[in-house]
This record gives sequence, C-alpha cells and structure tokens, in this order.
Amino acid sequence: MAGPSFIDRARSAADDDDDFPIGDFPGGGRQTIIPQDLAEETPFQQLIRHWMNERHAPDILPGQEMLLGRLLDHIRKQSSDVELLRADPDSSEEEHFRIMLVQTEVERVKFVIRSYIRTRLHKIEKYAKYISANPEIHEKLSKAELDHARRYARLVDYHFNQSVLQSLPEQQRSSEENVPFMPPMTAQPDKLRPVFAHALQDCPPMRLPDGTMSEMQKGQIVLVPFYVVEQLLLRGEVELV
Amino acid sequence: MALPPSLRTSITPPELELVASEQLVEIVPLVSMERTAFISGAYGPLRPPTKCKVPLWMASNLKLKKKCHIVPPSWLNVEFLQERLLRETTDPSFSEMPFRFAEVAKILLDVAPDDLQNPEKIRMLLKDIREARQAKSREGLSKLDHNELMLPNLCAMEINEIRPFFVRGMSVLTHLTREPAPVDPNAMEQM
Repeated sequence: MAGPSFIDRARSAADDDDDFPIGDFPGGGRQTIIPQDLAEETPFQQLIRHWMNERHAPDILPGQEMLLGRLLDHIRKQSSDVELLRADPDSSEEEHFRIMLVQTEVERVKFVIRSYIRTRLHKIEKYAKYISANPEIHEKLSKAELDHARRYARLVDYHFNQSVLQSLPEQQRSSEENVPFMPPMTAQPDKLRPVFAHALQDCPPMRLPDGTMSEMQKGQIVLVPFYVVEQLLLRGEVELV
Repeated sequence: MALPPSLRTSITPPELELVASEQLVEIVPLVSMERTAFISGAYGPLRPPTKCKVPLWMASNLKLKKKCHIVPPSWLNVEFLQERLLRETTDPSFSEMPFRFAEVAKILLDVAPDDLQNPEKIRMLLKDIREARQAKSREGLSKLDHNELMLPNLCAMEINEIRPFFVRGMSVLTHLTREPAPVDPNAMEQM
C-alpha cells in the first residue's frame, strides 16, 4: 500500500541541522547574536525574514512571489497528504499525532503568509495614489497588487470628488496641492523613519545623516533612518528586527 | 484596514514567540515516531529514550500532550543566569544574552517547568535581569540623536519594548535637525 508522499519525502530528505540552534553560550562568546548562515535558510525561514522586514519598513519592499508560490505548493501537498491519511481506516495512534503536528505547522505557515500579504496590502492601499503615479515602484508589486492599487486609487479619487471636491470652488478642487511645511497631499513612503537594523554579515560602509560613514559588523544592531540601510536591506545583507 | 492599527507600528509578543519557536531544542521523546517531512524540514525518527532535536513549537506541542521531556538549553539554569545578573548589575553595558531568550524562557517555563531545576528561582532571576536591562535602556535614551544609535547585545523582546518611543523620538529629532538632504531624490521632495 503506497504511503503518503510526505513519508517518502522524509526518507529521502537530506539531514538538515541548519535552523537556529539554541547554541552553547560559553562565558566569553564574541558574537552578539546567534550566528546564522543565510545560505542555509529554509524557505519558511526566508519568508519569516521577509515578513519581519516588511512589517518594519516604512516603504514597500520587493514582493517574493516565487517564495510564496513554493510555500503554498508545499502547504497544498501537506494538506492533501493529511487528507489521505485521515481517510485511511487503519492509521494508528502514532499517525494521529503526526497528522496533528503536520497540521499545526501548516497553520503556522499560513499565519505568516497571511500576515505578510496583509502588511503589503495595507501599504499598497495607503500609497495607492503614489504608486499609480510612479512607475519605478511597479516592479516591487505583483501584477494583482498593481491592478488593485490602480483601481483603489481611482475609487478613492472618485469618492472624494463626489462627496466633497466637486462642491468646492474651482481653485480648491485639486488633490495635488503642495503647501510649504506640510506633508504633500499624496501620501508618500517616509524613508526617514528610523528602523532597527541587524547585520547578517559584515557590511560595506553606509552614509549617515550627518555625513559620516559607518560600517556594521556581523551581528550588530543599530537604530538608523530607513534610507541609510535601504540598499543593504534590498541586497539581503541586513534585516530589520 | 488590511492591517489592524495595533499591528502597524510594531510586532506583538505572540508574533515574536512564533518566530522564536522555529529554534531547535533537544527533547527526550516518550513515544516513537517515524521520520516525517514538515515544511521546515524533516524531523525524527523519535526513538525513546534517545534524545532528538526538534523545533520548539513541536517540542511544546508534544510536551503538552505528555509525549516528551524537554532538555533545557544550556543558558536556562540558575548558575548561568546568576552570573549574567551579576554582570548586568556591575557592567554599564548590556551583557550577552541569547537573542530570543525572553520568548524561549517564557515558553519553557509555561510548558515544561518540571523539566527545569528550580523554575521559581529562574523566573526571579529572569525578572531581575530584565529590570536591570530596562534601566540601561532608559539611560541609553539620552544617547538618542538624529544620526544613529548603537545597541550592542540588545534582545528581540527588549527592542520591541523600546521601539515605539525610540522611533518617534528619533523621527522628531530628524525633523528638528533639517540637515542637507541625503542622496536620495525622493527624500528631497519630502523635506
């Protein structure tokens, strides 16, 4: 009788011991954070890193469609395996709690995926007008997200016009006015907002607001305005914490 | 609307626990289980009484169903924490603690107090360490400027605690300082 594929995959799966081990902490350890090699991250750990970055960053970061696709496929496979096992009448006690563990993990992954997508959606709706006007952001969004941003911006514009703006005198109808010392009418991502950055490896020097250069060693945590670490973040040398 | 306002500025502690639960711990299983492929990797086989490394979420799940015993990590014992507490109270800088010690310690104290020696003392020590570090964070506030702030050895939960205030504070200082704009042209338009 053919077993469910996740058991077969388990037998042929490589041994991985690469997650964050709760390592030994000898008294005089040099590292400030438990070291973790980027190359050994599982897809789920990568997603968690991108999720945290997205939560903390004031700007929209490039979307990770491929990663999401892989994880969603994996979830589908696991769920169908669980269905198979449940339908099988001679599964034992051991199978039951194995199924339970697989389901628990699926729930965890689904939660992170949902939260990641919601965070991006929130930022997209907030900056919908800015996105429609600036093509360079479009490559950070997936096609569906871009469509949604455009339609949403149109809807909001239409709503403002219908409810308020068309009843105002001509000169006050614009939604593009820029008053000195006030933020612009179209909400723009605030790249000056401070973020906590954690260096995953030794980083090239970055320019601070007062002009000096600063370099981060692997494992350091620093509080800086977002634009200072933006390039490092996009290259994956730094994560937001 | 997509993201409730309470989640917009910062991460909640339960979410930090979720991230911390990916870490591996050693367990002594009480039931056996074949090697199984999960999304984050293949774990098992569990063969009592051999120890095995599994993620913390799995360990706490099994423990709640009384199917394993958890081996506490090397830093979660009275001697280590006492030594760290001494260092915290004598040194003006933060001492090294595992990055997610607060989350991991909370999970283990809730789920497996019987696997730890002297859980009450451990709780007290953790509380004292936390208070000592909080006092240092408060002093660190005076070093906040519009430029950068180094935070050696700070841990995930503590960063989360100070985040709203420090971020707002630094934001205000940045606006007050009005330095010449950075290279980025977008930011120029904002200022």
